[in-house]
Amino acid sequence: MHLNFDYLVVGSGATGAIAAKTLVDKGVQVGLLDIGEEDKVYKDLIPNADFLSIRKKDIEQHRYFLGDQFEGIPWETTRVGSQLTPPRSFLTRFSEAFFPFDSESFQPLESAAKGGLGGGWGLGSYVFSKLELEAVGLNEYEMNASYEDVISYIGVSGIYDDGGKYGLGSNKKIQPAMKLDVNHQKILKAYQKNKSKLNKKDIYVGQSVLALLTEGKLNRKAVQYRDMGFWSDTNKSAYRSWMTIDELNESPNFKYHKKCLVTRFEEFDGGVRVFVKRTDTNEVKVYTCKKLILSPGVLGTARIVSRSFDYKKEKLPILCNPYSYMPCINRRQLGKKVDQHQTSFAQLVMYLDDKKNNFDVGVAALFSYRSLLLFKLIKETPLNFADARIIMQFLQSSFTIAGIHHPEKGSDNKFISLVKDTTSYTGDKLVGQYILSEKELFKNKNREKKFKSALTTLGCYPMKTIQTPAGGSIHYGGTLPFSENNELFHVLKNGKLGGTKNVYVADGSGFKYLPAKGVTLTLMANANRVAKNVLKNE
Amino acid sequence: MKDGLSNMEEVYSREAELFTAYLVSSPLKEREKKLYNKAMIHFDLKLSNFEKELLKRMMKSNTNMAIIDAGLAILKPSSLVRRKLFTMLAILEASPNYTSEFFSKKYSFSYYFKLLYIGVRAVFRTMVGVFIVKKIERKCI
Repeated sequence: MHLNFDYLVVGSGATGAIAAKTLVDKGVQVGLLDIGEEDKVYKDLIPNADFLSIRKKDIEQHRYFLGDQFEGIPWETTRVGSQLTPPRSFLTRFSEAFFPFDSESFQPLESAAKGGLGGGWGLGSYVFSKLELEAVGLNEYEMNASYEDVISYIGVSGIYDDGGKYGLGSNKKIQPAMKLDVNHQKILKAYQKNKSKLNKKDIYVGQSVLALLTEGKLNRKAVQYRDMGFWSDTNKSAYRSWMTIDELNESPNFKYHKKCLVTRFEEFDGGVRVFVKRTDTNEVKVYTCKKLILSPGVLGTARIVSRSFDYKKEKLPILCNPYSYMPCINRRQLGKKVDQHQTSFAQLVMYLDDKKNNFDVGVAALFSYRSLLLFKLIKETPLNFADARIIMQFLQSSFTIAGIHHPEKGSDNKFISLVKDTTSYTGDKLVGQYILSEKELFKNKNREKKFKSALTTLGCYPMKTIQTPAGGSIHYGGTLPFSENNELFHVLKNGKLGGTKNVYVADGSGFKYLPAKGVTLTLMANANRVAKNVLKNE
Repeated sequence: MKDGLSNMEEVYSREAELFTAYLVSSPLKEREKKLYNKAMIHFDLKLSNFEKELLKRMMKSNTNMAIIDAGLAILKPSSLVRRKLFTMLAILEASPNYTSEFFSKKYSFSYYFKLLYIGVRAVFRTMVGVFIVKKIERKCI
C-alpha cells in the first residue's frame, strides 16, 4: 500500500515543532498536520522600535495596543486568555469552535495557531531535577541528552547563580544571562544583603533562565531590550515554535499541511490512517503514514485518543499548575523614572525549596510592569480613575509582579471526559472538573505566605494576591499517564501510545506530575526524546 | 433632521470630551474622540436606568464625575459607566498626545506632598461617592 508519509506529526506547538525537527534532521520524510492560524492583522503594523519611542511617536499604536475590535481593553480580567495582547489574540482564535470545552471549575486554553500556545510563551526554561523527572515518569539520562539538544537549538540564556541549580541543571550550552533592569538590580542587591536570612527560610533567588538570545544565532538576533516582548517577535530573539516550522518548510523532506484538524486515527497492518477534517472546506480527508506522532497538546491528544478508542474511557485524569500573582511595590524604585533598557519577560526567579531536595519547589517569577500599559492596573484599584491614574503613574517604576506557580499532582477531582455533542464541530466536546482539596489549597496558601514574606524582606510589598481560575497557568499534563504496561489510555516510557503499534505521543499527556517550574523546555526535550525513540523503533 | 446614529455620535463625543477633562485635565483631540465613538458603537453598552441617571449627573461637572466614579469603584466596580470611563482611559493611554500623563517621571521631594493631597482627596471622594451612589440607587429603585 502506498503511504502518504513515513512520519506524520500532529500539531505545530512547542512539542510538535521539536518532534518534527528531530525527525527531519535525520533525513526521513515528515508531514505535519496543523490548523495553522496566523496573525494577518497586527504583525506588520508594529514598528521595529522600542516601547518608549513607539508610545511617543506612533499615532497608530492604538491599533495593536488596544486592538481593532478593542479586544485589548479587557473588562473581565479573570477569564483565562484575557491576558493575551491583541497581536497575540490569534493564538486562541477559533479554539472555542474547534475545541469546545465545558466546565464550571476548569478553564483551559487551547490554540489553533501555527506554533500553538508557544507563541505566547513567557520563555521560562527549566531543567527538571532528577526527583522531578522521576515523579513525571521520565528517565534522567535520556532527558539530559534531549535537554542539551533542545537548549543548543532554541538558544537559552541564564547564569549559574543561586537559582542555577533549580533551572539549569548541569547544562553548559547556555548563553550569558540578559541584563537586569534597574528595578531587578535593586531586588537582587537586596537578596544578596539578606541572603543568609532568606536561605534559612529555604528561599533562593536567581536570574531567569529564558529561551531568549543574548547572542545572535543564525538568522535570529540578540535581545535588544526594547520591552516589546508581549507585542511582537521582531528580531526573533525570543524563541517561538513557528520559527521552527518556517525553518522546516525550507527542507525538501518536510511538508506542512494547514487547515487540518485531526479527529482520530486507526491502525492497519504496517501503518496508521489519520482522519482529518479540513477547517476551510469541512471536507474529511484521510492520510496514511508508517508512524504517527501526536502532539496537539494534552487536551487535543485526549480528544483524538478518546475518539480513536471509541470513547471507551469515561474519565481521563488531568493536571494543571495552580497559578496566582501578586502585584508588588518595590520601595527602592518609588517615584523613579523608568529606563528604556528592559525586557517584558521575567527577570528574576524566587524558589522555595522547603524540602531542601529540589523537589516540590515553589516558583515565583518576577517581572517589571510597564509594557502592558497602566490602564489595566488602574482598573484594579478601589479608587476613582482620575486620582488612581496620578497615583499609579507615580508608582509605575516600582511595580513588580510576582507570578507564582505551584507544583501539582493528580486526584479524583481533576479529570476530563469527551462526550458526544452533535452541535459541535467535531460531534463531541470535552467536559471536566478541576477541584483542589482543602489540603492542597492550604499548602498553596502557605507557600504564597512564604513568598509574600520573602518579597517583603526584599523591599517588595505585595498589594494583593490574585488567584487565576484553574487552567490559568496554561501548563497541562497527565491525561494518559506514563505506564510500564502496554495498556489503553496510557503512554509507554518510550513515548508509544499503549495498545498501538505505530502511534506515539510527544506532548505532556504522559506527565504524572507537574513541577512548579515552567514545563515548556521539558515538553520540548521530551518531544525530542520521543522522536528519537520513534526512529529507533523502526 | 439628524438620524439616530448621528445623535449617538454627538452624545458619545460629549462624553469623550468630559471624560478626558476629568481623567487627564486636558482638552480632547479629534482622533481620540473618533476612537471613543468607534469603541462605544462597537461595545453597544446597554445602561440600566440607574446607570443612565448616574451618567447624567456625572456629565454635569468634573466634581460629580470624580465622586460618582469613586463611589462606583467601591460599590459597583463593574458598572457600565465605569466601563465607559475605562475605555476612554485606555484610548488616552494609547495615544502619543497623552503619553506623558501615563509615563513615569523623575519626581521631586515636594511631589510627595501633592501625592498625599491626592490620596486624601481620593479617600474623601470615595466616602462621599459611596453615600451619593447609594442615594441615587435608592431613588431609582
